[in-house]
Amino acid sequence: MITGADIINLLSSTLISMVPILLASVGEIITEKSGVVNIGLEGIFIISSFAATVVAYYTGDPLLALLVGTIVGSLSGLLHGVISAYLNGDQIIAGVGFNSFAYGLALMIMVALWQSYGSSPTVKTLPMILVPVAGTTLYIPPLAIAAFIVAVLAHYWLNKTRSGLKVRACGEDPRSAESMGINVRRTRLYATILGATLTGLGGAYLTVWWIGQFTKFISAGRGFIALANVAFSNWNPLLAILGALIFGFFSALSIFLPLKLQQIYHVQYTAQIYLFNTIPYIATLVIVAFIMKRVRMPRALGKPYIKE
Amino acid sequence: MPSKDGFFQKLRARFRARAQDYGMAALEVFLSAAIGFLAGALALLVLGYDPLKVYEVLFSWGYTDIGYLLLKSTPLIMTAIAFSIPALAGVFNIGGESQLYVGALLGLLVAYYIHNAPLAIVAAILGGAGLGLFIALLRVYRGINEVITAIMVNWIMYWLLAYLVTGPFNNPKLPQQSVPVPKSAQIPVFSIGGVNIAGSFILAVIGALVIYYIVFYTKTGYIMRVSGLSPASAKYAGFSPEKAILTSMLIGGAAAGFGGALLVLGDVHSIDTTLSAVYGLGFTGIGIGLLGRNNPIGIIFAAIFFSGLLIGGQYVELFLNAPPNLSDFLIGVIVIALSIPYAYRFIISWIKRRRMAK
Repeated sequence: MITGADIINLLSSTLISMVPILLASVGEIITEKSGVVNIGLEGIFIISSFAATVVAYYTGDPLLALLVGTIVGSLSGLLHGVISAYLNGDQIIAGVGFNSFAYGLALMIMVALWQSYGSSPTVKTLPMILVPVAGTTLYIPPLAIAAFIVAVLAHYWLNKTRSGLKVRACGEDPRSAESMGINVRRTRLYATILGATLTGLGGAYLTVWWIGQFTKFISAGRGFIALANVAFSNWNPLLAILGALIFGFFSALSIFLPLKLQQIYHVQYTAQIYLFNTIPYIATLVIVAFIMKRVRMPRALGKPYIKE
Repeated sequence: MPSKDGFFQKLRARFRARAQDYGMAALEVFLSAAIGFLAGALALLVLGYDPLKVYEVLFSWGYTDIGYLLLKSTPLIMTAIAFSIPALAGVFNIGGESQLYVGALLGLLVAYYIHNAPLAIVAAILGGAGLGLFIALLRVYRGINEVITAIMVNWIMYWLLAYLVTGPFNNPKLPQQSVPVPKSAQIPVFSIGGVNIAGSFILAVIGALVIYYIVFYTKTGYIMRVSGLSPASAKYAGFSPEKAILTSMLIGGAAAGFGGALLVLGDVHSIDTTLSAVYGLGFTGIGIGLLGRNNPIGIIFAAIFFSGLLIGGQYVELFLNAPPNLSDFLIGVIVIALSIPYAYRFIISWIKRRRMAK
């Protein structure tokens, strides 16, 4: 029934779908450690994946597209960072607004450029590493390896270096941080930009390294799954790797399972396909609700730093 | 009589303080809308559309048919309340989307099988309230951020609803939609002075007024508001902020469920298989709740304003071939602009200081 090839295929899909979640999770951990919560990850995925698609379509250069998508992520972080760190804005409201803004903007431009309401034309994608095993091919996205390294580096930086300590101080006790000579507002801005940059890279990957096309449901809640993963990992980038693999697996399962069941039972699913789409969200909810231990978030998370 | 004098003085001072609050709120709302439309104009210009023409169509066609405008604002009033009441208690309910789905589905099924509108509405309210409570329970007892739960539940309900209206409750005669609400369970539209006023809109206004009363004139509402402003003070006063969260989400979910029933019984009468009749109403409600300053009466007006934008957006597409998603963009920018009241206060005090320096 389940063959070795199936397992390899599941592993491929897990690795492929894990990448944007891991990049965004590690980015958001850095942002949140500084005391800023960015709930607009979903919007960053949408806007950066769209920007990457546009660049890939008009230049035919997916690597340039990846770069531009990443920069669009950085710019989104700049906006959220200024609102959160300098304008003392409500971070949750700003993030929710950004999600709607990003969706509206991407779809407006898509209609203007291609007169299409649902999806963009297809674009060229970057190559995966192919490893032949068990009579099939294991696909490894090079960015998956990069994302693992980024997670390890982020863990080392946040916990073992002076500058990492400064970031954490801003999220734990901004007033003491300031008295130690740390510029809290600037640190928070930089941490927000860094987090959004990683998320932007993940978004660009969605279209120019994986799917090869922008669709209006491209991010499909992945930004929020990444936020759930941040809580699941207890703000630890190494545990975020495990979380991303688990979430990636369930998202792979939601595609694999209906195909396999149809093949085994010789049936054709129609409406039932929709039910399988719920798997990653149910899994996220169950994991976060029941397996998650008592987590401890940065103490000043989400609170504007208002100087007296 | 010095004591009476003192009382009047106090009253006057209180009113003056409040007037300043209202003035500030009005200014923030006005500024945010202005920023939204300016950003929208800029985006339209870059994309090669004439913003003046687009806005002309948007405003002249969005608000001409009053009856249609009120009908379309009905579910939005309720999803906005679904966001705002929990917001007053310090919870961020972005699950109005799925709470409305559940209300629409239960309302539809009860109406279809039992042919009874009041029962359909009750079922929808209970369904929405249950879903709201579920999110609140996870927040209170497992410490899970309500935003994460709500988004996961939104997607689960989205696909579940898609399955149910395409599969078991599909209309065999019209496969692109669900089974219909029978005539006997539909909420009628009344013609009052030449204007068609939807019965569902009247029910939504009554609902908003009831919730307004609960929030601002009962002890339950008072506890919710105190807990939202300062959980620590609420605890000190002997109130339970946790209970306030549960109550507010129960009310919020009930409102969204009610909105779903009003939509199905009073307007669309069935759910299409692409879910376009229900999708997005909850998310739009967030912006409306913020624009209405989390006040149910302010929300009625904000919902009418936003639904005019949405209706106008369709005419913009029809007449000028401009993208209909302009409304998402505008709502997004307005919400972002509403997140920085501190910045506006800062600008105002800066202007005042400059004026004094001169």
